[in-house]
Parts: sequence; structure tokens; C-alpha cells
Amino acid sequence: MIVSWNWLKQYVPLDMPHAELETRLMMAGLNHEGTEDVAGDLAIDLEVTSNRPDCLGHLGVAREIAVLWQKPLSIPTAEPKADGPPVDDLVKVQIDCPGLCGRYTARVVRGVKIGPSPGWMTRRLRTIGLAPINNVVDISNYVLMECGQPLHTFDFGKLKGSQIIVREPKAGETIEAIDHHTYRLEPGMCIIADGEDPVAIGGVMGGAATEIADTTTDILVEAAEFDPLSIRHTARALNLHSDSSYRFERGIDSEGIDWASRRCCELILELAGGQLCEGVVDVGAPLAERKPIVLRLNQIERILGIPVPAEEVRKILADLGNVEIRAEAKQVEVIPPSWRRDLTREIDLIEEVARIHGYDEIPEDAGVPMVASTRRREDRVASKIRTVLTAAGYDEAVTLSTVDAETAATFSPWTDAEPLASRSPVLRGADRLRLSLVPSLLEARRTNEALSESRIELFEIAKVYLPRGKKLPDEQRMLGLCSGGSFEEVKGVIEAMLAAINPAVHWETADASFDLFSNGRCCRLLLDGQLLGILGELRPEGLKRFGLRHEATVAELNMALLVQMAQLIPTYTPLPAYPAVSRDLNLVVDERVRWADVAKTVAATSEPFFEELQYQDTYRDPERLGAGKKSLLMTLVLRGSEGTMTNEQADELRNRIVAACGRKHGAELRA
Amino acid sequence: MALAEFLNTLDELAKQATAQFEAAADAVSLEAARVEFLGAKSGRLKDVQKGLGQVDKADKPAAGKRFNEVKQQLETLFSAATKRIANGGCVETASDFDPTIPGKRPVLGHLHPITQTIEELVDIMGRLGFTVAEGPEIEDLWHNFDALNIPLEHPARDPLDNFYLATAETMSGQNKTEPKWMLRSQTSTVQIRVMEKTQPPVRIISLGRVYRPDTADATHYPMFHQIEGLLIDRHVTMADLKSILRLFAESFFEDDVHVRFRPSFFPFTEPSVEVDMSWAGDWIEFGGAGMVDPNVLRAVGYDPEEVSGLAFGLGIERICMRRHGITDIREFYKNDVRFLHQF
Repeated sequence: MIVSWNWLKQYVPLDMPHAELETRLMMAGLNHEGTEDVAGDLAIDLEVTSNRPDCLGHLGVAREIAVLWQKPLSIPTAEPKADGPPVDDLVKVQIDCPGLCGRYTARVVRGVKIGPSPGWMTRRLRTIGLAPINNVVDISNYVLMECGQPLHTFDFGKLKGSQIIVREPKAGETIEAIDHHTYRLEPGMCIIADGEDPVAIGGVMGGAATEIADTTTDILVEAAEFDPLSIRHTARALNLHSDSSYRFERGIDSEGIDWASRRCCELILELAGGQLCEGVVDVGAPLAERKPIVLRLNQIERILGIPVPAEEVRKILADLGNVEIRAEAKQVEVIPPSWRRDLTREIDLIEEVARIHGYDEIPEDAGVPMVASTRRREDRVASKIRTVLTAAGYDEAVTLSTVDAETAATFSPWTDAEPLASRSPVLRGADRLRLSLVPSLLEARRTNEALSESRIELFEIAKVYLPRGKKLPDEQRMLGLCSGGSFEEVKGVIEAMLAAINPAVHWETADASFDLFSNGRCCRLLLDGQLLGILGELRPEGLKRFGLRHEATVAELNMALLVQMAQLIPTYTPLPAYPAVSRDLNLVVDERVRWADVAKTVAATSEPFFEELQYQDTYRDPERLGAGKKSLLMTLVLRGSEGTMTNEQADELRNRIVAACGRKHGAELRA
Repeated sequence: MALAEFLNTLDELAKQATAQFEAAADAVSLEAARVEFLGAKSGRLKDVQKGLGQVDKADKPAAGKRFNEVKQQLETLFSAATKRIANGGCVETASDFDPTIPGKRPVLGHLHPITQTIEELVDIMGRLGFTVAEGPEIEDLWHNFDALNIPLEHPARDPLDNFYLATAETMSGQNKTEPKWMLRSQTSTVQIRVMEKTQPPVRIISLGRVYRPDTADATHYPMFHQIEGLLIDRHVTMADLKSILRLFAESFFEDDVHVRFRPSFFPFTEPSVEVDMSWAGDWIEFGGAGMVDPNVLRAVGYDPEEVSGLAFGLGIERICMRRHGITDIREFYKNDVRFLHQF
């Protein structure tokens, strides 16, 4: 809302510097957006929150100023002389859709002379950014900007049947508005029609056919109230927003309609001449009585933390237009003003007292009681994981929670369900709530490849949204990894991370098959039989799908399981008293035999001396080992808990291990 | 054998060996020296060791100790000579050591600046007694609107201002059906969920991703992060709100910061205020705050006559951008590693 400094002065004395006015209004709820000098006047732009439509007119702002600076407020009485015939005899008004239009009033002025507005009015309108048109149109705009009640003036001579019907549009009806665009009207909208056609889009914009022209002599002045929700829908549907629709959307002062109508007629008589017909056509339900509100004075301190003297409370409320109907030692009872529909409860009055008394009065050094807070387990685990991954050279990404439908379909390790979708895309086609972080990370990888980055190692910790039918989706937090390294390298990072959050944890790998991954270069990670995650190298088609030029390996792990398995407070194990002995083993096995199985046998056979089994290498040589054979090189670390293990003991144990591996896996010791 | 004799032999050997190890100019001569002195089978040190057996019993510990010292000394000399020869015969001296040559750096990853800001905020709020709470990002309309005092006719529920989820009907082209779920537009939903299952006192911060249909530009993105604080107890006042925010600001800016309230409007708080903080001689906008609206307290089954509450919220991106001088919010989600490496 832009207000004119000169205009405001008509209602309230302004003897303060404008900067002081701006600051104080800001501290009372009207944010200052800027001030411009317009031909010697000041255009002050104020931000009005949606609960304060009363400040969408100069009078409302003047009232705030009057309260804050303790100045008198003068409001025009708006008592135009009506010496024409009764308006009832000239025009009929009917409301067919009371849900959309609660009240419609009409006055008629006859014999006006259309012409330019006087300088004082055009200057004020120009200051606030409105272009003058002619005296009558300017007056309706002026009164709107004066009190916040939108008005419309019709060329009465062009209203067919001398009647106004407020109704919903009939099928296929259109209207050419005063902006000379034609709008298609739809059910649910509220239109103003004469005996035959729509003449205005109620509360939004008038029609071109009945607009005030130079030849107009008789005028119908509309002052009405329209349903805020319906106005909003109509303005949105037609993409037609006006000063009128803006105010009706926020709600007008039902009891101020008549004042605005009278004020408009008063100015027409003054500036355009003519004769006002006697009375008003006023159609609508009786006005609801405003309900009194009780303010218990002790509640002010209970909420604000400071007491405000009873006398001051009563004065603030009265200055703002509340009518005190009872004042007792512990409470006051007031009826709020008609222009403040936002005041219905005790807490609303407390806010009024607070903002006028001043929030600066509230101290910023209250002794707030201390309480213990705890860091959540999931945050501590996530923090540990982030530490390991950044140490391993991975950068953390944050990607959008949605992807497009095709991308969502590329990888879904956690569910077979279709992803949920938003009605409109969150960003460029991305309307599917993602089922995996991997596609998003691959897209981030492509962004970086396009920038010729050579090292692109990314991880993200974020949610995926797994549909659960009628229940809200299962939102699972995942850890996604996306690397230019090999399967083994990424697996190593995962192993280091798992070891960091729980050195004793036991997990396994199992076969996997995904369209995105190369056959045999991917696996599932299992923790006690539960799916902990997926790891795989992209196959060429997968790389192509994401527009990647270089190899990529991705992984995704379930954070809930990581959090569950984490050992945040490790227990001390006494350090060994005796030295360790190590033995290298070189076992030749068939190609199908897997390391993990051999390792299990080695470990089991080594008990109770087993300390560690280090994988060294796999060696293949058809000539020396035979076709389909490989040799597994490993170092076994043994340690006795009762005494130093002798070489003989270690050798004997090694022989038993070789024998066991021979039995179970067909392994032979390579000489 | 007398101890003195043994020690003399040992010292003589050490002297000769030192000279030869230091003089060795290539691997061949060094190997020859090694075999001569340290050879496992017939090295001269081995010979001396044999003499150790003939030393008087009482002197044996002293002789043994000296023998080990010399042995270690020779081994050290040998390995230094090996290194020297491997380095092309250069001895490391001040003249050819260049400490300005870059070190060998391990590659470190970087945490996303949003994460870093969140960690900082959570850390400070944790010290002020607030515990983190989380809730779903896909919400029902009760938690996102009704319980937060945003009734059906409220403009905040407009489909153009929210990401409602599609249902089977809307997927098939019928757009009129009433939406059931949405991407949450604020993290206040978490506060409702916590209050629904917790009795006061409550002292939490909720944080996470929120979604609003803004066209992406330098200052808007349809997804962003919020952090919101909530404190419900008996006798909670706006003075507590101001004081907590001041403590927070002093921690965050590491300075003597003051807090200013400007009246504002939010459906779920009454009174509602915008919070400014004085910093570097200016007032900067911090976020929104207020006292929890009695309707919200009633919606979760609390008695507004018994308890009161304060709430505050802020956008994490905005704080993060100001903190690091980032001028385009879209950078956060591009994940250009050159951007990430700056933090």
C-alpha cells in the first residue's frame, strides 16, 4: 500500500520527520518498503500484512498514526445532500447468489458532467501511482484508496432494464472488461448483470459496455461486499488482479460500505455536479452483531512477560476504536471496531496492546531456565559417517527430492511401487518423489562432468519416499555414494565407514542384479539378513542413460540400519599381553570358490588364536595353476591369550587350516 | 678374555666399519662392506660375538650391552648409506632441501554448506536446551494447515502456493479431487506431531526440507530448509522468546547482539513478530517468531490456560548465504564440486 504524505495530512497532523513516521509505523506493524518523492509529495510504500486490510486505505494508516503519536483523527462525515427522487423508484437490485455477495448497495446521481479531476486529486492519485481518467472514475479510485472499500460506477443510462442482478454466469457468458480484454465467465464466479448481460465481474473489474464515458450523465454507484474466497478464485482463474480484488480477498469493513458510497456521491456532487437521488438501495442480510471480548489484565503479563498498566491498556484499546463496555479491576470488556475483523479473542487484544505499547519494552535478558538437551543417535551416527566420507575425499551433495518419471524408473532398490507424484512439478518436470538418491547423484555427476571436473566423488544423506498405499509414505533416510572409482574402491570406503561406526559389526554381501549395473560388478550388502544397501558399477547403457562419459560406481545404504548397528560408545578391550605371530597362506582354489567362504573357514579353524585375516591378492595363471583356478594370497595373524605362541604351534595350526580348506573348498597350498 | 680387550676389538671394528659404510660410493662397494662387517655367517661382527662367550662371567652384561650398541650403530649406518646411494648419492643438506615444494596432500571432501550451517544452528540451540525433532516431508493437510490454525478458506492453502500430491484420479486428468497429502510447506508440522504425543514441557527444534512453488531464481528455490524452535511450558513469555533469540544471536555472531521485534502476522502465532538482529551496525532480518496461538495449543490437546509457548523459525539458506556471501540460492543444489570445495 502506497500512501501519500500530503493525503494523510488531511486526516491527521504530520509534524514529525517522515523518517520517524516510517520507523515508528514499521515498529507498529507496517513495514516500510521505501519512500519516493513524487512532484513534491512523498509516496511511502508500506507492507500491510494479510490480517490488516484496514490499513489498505489512507484512513486506516492515519488512524495508526493518530494512535501512535496521540493526535486527533478527522474523518470526513460524508453527508451529501440528496434532493433527487427516491432511488428505489429508479433501480431494482437483486442478489441471486448470497453466498458470493453478502451485500449490494446502489446510489444514483443524475445530471453529472464528466470532465477532468481537479489538480489536488490528480496529484494525490499520481503520487500513489494511479493514472487519472475522469472525475467520476477518479473519485471511485480515490475513495477506494481513502477507506479501502472498492467502489464501482456504472453509466446508469446503459444498464438495461434499470436493474442490477448479482448472479453466477450462465453457460458460455463472456464479458469485455474495462481493460478491453474479453473474459470467459465460469460457474462459481460472481457477476453483476443488468436486465440482460453481465456488466461487471463482481469485485474484480467493471465492464466496458457500461463504463463512464464523456457523454455519461447518470451514474449508479456500487458499494458491495463479495466473498473473499470466491474473489480470489475468480481473480486467479481469469488472471485478473485489481486494487478491488486485492481488498475483497482480504475482507472489507462490512459496516463501512455505506460511508464509502456516501463519500463517493459527496465527491461526485462536489466535482462533477448533478443531483443525488434520495436514499440507497441496500440488499443483503442484516449485519451480524460484533461480539464483545474480555481481556483479563493478568494475561498481558502472562504472555508478554511485562505488565502494562490498566489505564494504558484501556487507552490503547479505545484509541484503536474498541468500545469499552465494562472495566473492572481485573478485566476489561470491549467491542472491537468493525474495521478490525482480526480482533475476536483475548490474545488478539494482547497483541494490540503489545505492538502499541512497544515490543522494545520487552526485555531481552529474562532468565530462561536451563534444561539438558541430547544429541540424537541418528545425528551422531550421520556426523560420524560424514567425517569418514569427507576424510575419504567425498564431497557432500544436496539434491532435489523429486525427479522426473523416467529418471525415477531407472533405479529403485527398495520398492517395486510406483513413486508418488506432486500435482505440479517441483522443478522442470521433476514431479516424482524419489525412490533412491542414486539417479539424482548421477545427474549431479553429469553436471560436473560437463564442467570437465576430473574428480567427482559425491555423497548425500537424504530421504527417499516409499509408497505405502493409503498410509503416508515410508520416508527412509539413505546414504548415497557416487564415485569415479571402481567397485573395490567404493566397497573399501563403505567398509571403512562401517568399521568406524561399529568395528565389530558383521555384514555380508549377496548377489544382485539391476538394469543399471554391470553383471557381476554389483552386490547387495546384508546385515543380519536385512538389506543394508546396494553397490554396483554402472554398465555402459547405464552411463549412457545419464549422459556420463566416464565409469561410475554408486552405492546406497539404509541409514536406519546404520544408526541401529552403530556402536557409539565402544567398550574397552585390554591390550594383548603376548606378541602376535603371522603366517602367509597361498591357497589354490577353483574360480567359483569365494573369498568370504574361505575366510570363514580360516577364521573358524584358527580359534582360539585367531586375530585377523588380511586379504592380499588373487593370482591367476592357467599354466602354473591350471585353467579355472586361482590362488588366494592372505596373511593370517594369530595370537595366544595365555602365552606367546610358538612357531611350532603356528605351523601346526596353519597345517590344520590348509587341511580344513582342502576339505571344504578343495583348496591346495601353493608351494 | 678381559673386558677391556673385548671392548677394544669392538671399538676398532666400529671405527673401520663406519669409515667403509660412509665411504661406499655405490651399491656394490656398500654390499661388500656389509658382507665384511654385518655378514650373517662370517661377518666380522659375528666373529666378535663369538668372543663374547669367552668374556668373564661377571663382565658379560657390560660386554653384551656394548656389543648391542655397536651392532645397532652399524645397522643404522648401513641403512643411511643404502638410502644415500638410492638417492643418487646425494647427501641431504640444507642447500638441496627445498621446503617450499608443495607437500603431498590427502584429498579431503567437503561438507555441503547447508549441512555446516545446520550443524552450527543445531549446536547452538542444543546448548540452549533444544533437542532436534524430525517429521515427515510428505504431510497430511491436518498437520500442515488445520492444526496450525490455517482453516480451509485460508489463502495459504491455495493450490498455486503448495505442492499437493497427485492421486489416482488426478493422474488420470481429473484435477478437482480434494488433495489428501502435500509436500510440507513448513517445518511447523513437526511441532504439531511432537506436541500431539508429548505432554509439556516441550523444548525442540524441528528442521528439514520444505517445499513451495516459487520459480527458481537467485533468491528463490522451490525446495529449501527451515529450522524452527518451539518451547512450551507454564509461564513462557515473549521476554523468554526475545532472550533466547538474543542468546542464540550472540552465539552465532560471536558478538554482543541485540534483538528487535516488529509486529507481523502468522496464523500459528499470536502475537506474531519479525525478528531483527543488530549486527555490524545494522538491523538484519533474522526470521519470524511469536507466541503459539491458543488455537494451535488446543488443536494438540493442550490447555492454553495452563501452558503458553514460544516459537521461531528461519530459512537456513538465507542465513547460510549471508554467512558465506553466496549470492545465488541455486548454487546450493547444482552441486558443482568447485562450489562445494569453497566451504
